[in-house]
Amino acid sequence: MDHIPSDKSENNPALSRLLVWFINPKNSKTIIGILITICILLFLVDFTYHKHGHFAVEDYKGFYGFYGFVMFTVLILVAKALRFFIQRPEDYYGDSAIDREEYPPEQLEKVDHGDV
Amino acid sequence: MAMFDILPTAFIFFAGAIIVALLPSGRIRSAISLLIPLLAGWQVYNLPSGVFAQIELFGQTLEMMRVDKLARVFALIFCLAAFLGNLYAWHVRDTVQQLAALFYAGSALGAVFAGDLVTLFFYWEGTAIASVFLIWARGTEAAYQTGLRYLIIQITSGVILLAGTALLWRETGSIAFEQMTLGSIGTWLIFLSFGMKCAFPFLHNWLQDSYPAATVTGTVILSAFTTKLAVYALARGFAGTEILIYIGAIMTLFPIFFAEIENDLRRVLAYSLNNQLGFMVVGIGIGTEMALNGTASHAFAHILYKALLFMSVGAVLFRTGTSKASELGGLCRTMPRTAIFCLIGAASISAFPLFSGFVTKSLIIDASAEKHYTIIWAILVFASAGVLSHSGIKIPYFTFFGHDSGLRPKEAPLNMQLAMGFTAFLCIFIGVYPEPLYALLPYEVEFHPYTMGHVVGQLQLLCFALLAFAFLIKTGIHPPEVRAINLDTDWVYRKFLPNVTATLYKAFTSIWVDAANIVKIGLGQILNLLHKVHGPEAGISSVRPTGAMALWIAVLLAFSLVISYN
Repeated sequence: MDHIPSDKSENNPALSRLLVWFINPKNSKTIIGILITICILLFLVDFTYHKHGHFAVEDYKGFYGFYGFVMFTVLILVAKALRFFIQRPEDYYGDSAIDREEYPPEQLEKVDHGDV
Repeated sequence: MAMFDILPTAFIFFAGAIIVALLPSGRIRSAISLLIPLLAGWQVYNLPSGVFAQIELFGQTLEMMRVDKLARVFALIFCLAAFLGNLYAWHVRDTVQQLAALFYAGSALGAVFAGDLVTLFFYWEGTAIASVFLIWARGTEAAYQTGLRYLIIQITSGVILLAGTALLWRETGSIAFEQMTLGSIGTWLIFLSFGMKCAFPFLHNWLQDSYPAATVTGTVILSAFTTKLAVYALARGFAGTEILIYIGAIMTLFPIFFAEIENDLRRVLAYSLNNQLGFMVVGIGIGTEMALNGTASHAFAHILYKALLFMSVGAVLFRTGTSKASELGGLCRTMPRTAIFCLIGAASISAFPLFSGFVTKSLIIDASAEKHYTIIWAILVFASAGVLSHSGIKIPYFTFFGHDSGLRPKEAPLNMQLAMGFTAFLCIFIGVYPEPLYALLPYEVEFHPYTMGHVVGQLQLLCFALLAFAFLIKTGIHPPEVRAINLDTDWVYRKFLPNVTATLYKAFTSIWVDAANIVKIGLGQILNLLHKVHGPEAGISSVRPTGAMALWIAVLLAFSLVISYN
């Protein structure tokens, strides 16, 4: 891509300026900082109330956080490994497969401000 | 309709479809398509409980309208889904798709209200035949072939249902669609038929194969009916069947891995749909009042947020021509409203507190915990984190955020924004104020989703999983989106079986040719021999005196006499 249109297009409404803040690389540290703070707070909240879990394991402080973090990581790693076995090129099923064809353009209304 | 005491709800859709077909293409037609589900929904909401619209056929009573709370909640969400889908498709001027959507929704409603298995069968096949046109309407060779595969599987499910019904009728003398116990071949066939439509493991792949092949609007409509009709049928026929707990748990589990590495976002959503069905199937298997309430409410909430996600990805496809994650990214710049709607759908399916998935899924998970299914519970909680990964993060992140694809598509058309906005509103409404939905459920609800334990536990699970995602992205461990496909069970009938038949064909052809040659040569030799022996010039044909023959026979007789005498 030799020309990436600017984010500061005057047409961008307030909503998109708000969302663009999240994808600005400068803000990624802030976002992750906020996320870590939320996680720490959620962990600390566990000490403030008595749980009535159905399983003993639920009574460990921060059990759900730990389980979420670990299992999410496991999921990604296993999925990544799975790719090794089942990933195939897009034309694997020949050229008359939907992964190989363009969506019929006459059924769409493609409009790209970047072209203008 | 003098023959019925109540007009079957399906007929409202069918009559409406005929009116739509007679009207000229345009806004009036789109408006009528919106009015029909509203009218039907109003009828369903006001229906009294009971059995109506019965007809006698060959000594059997067909019940076209069996109305109770379980049927009503599914019928209502089907009407709502038809309304939202048609609003999203307001701009479509293709008669085939408009009629298919109405016949499809009508058939699904007919099936939900069917009080007997024969009526169920007719509408079951009705959904199959009507819905395939939403795939074929794409109009390409690939869509045609995918549609055929879809149709064959859907029709087969119906044929198996009919076979099961016939066997059950012979066994019990009844065709009533009631609670069944697995045992006889008949009940197993009916179970298998429901399982095919419900995308049980190994029977699931029609879903991921066909939904990405449908039109932009067709996929949204497809996502609502077929599989949830199957969930309804299982809840009606096989509640408390223990095997469903394990089938459901596997369904929540394996699609999350496939969804994670799939590139086509509409197929990611199809896998995600499969995973959500798993939660509902577990609820049916547990079969307690709480679990069945969980299944019904989760189906209701799921139809909305799944439609919303398909709508937002569809809007992106409509504006950019692709739904592949590898080609997208950064679209929040120019499609901010679609991005927000997508995020609301993502939060709902991930079951963040204050969104719809939270107040419905926790019913099922708690029901599993209450019955102390420890492993099932652990799987369901893991699968909940998995849902966050593909539907909660992957869909919005790689489409609207993430790296800049350079695409600056225009915001979705107004009708799509309205459909998404309304659906998003419902997702939040149900999450914040679940009581009206709870009131629709088949049993009395005594459940409070917003307890400290529920909210903090769920937030911990999701936020720490988000943290894991941020960590994996930052370290580059998270797999990138690449242009590729992944093998699934459709490999068996798209690659393996065609290869086997091609090989066999080749082998048999060469054997045939060889055999034919051998026969040809052999036959020639035999004919030559016969000609030599029996032909006009041959020895046998020559004239000999009969006396010689008599002498020779006498010699033979004497010879055999000597042998036998010894």
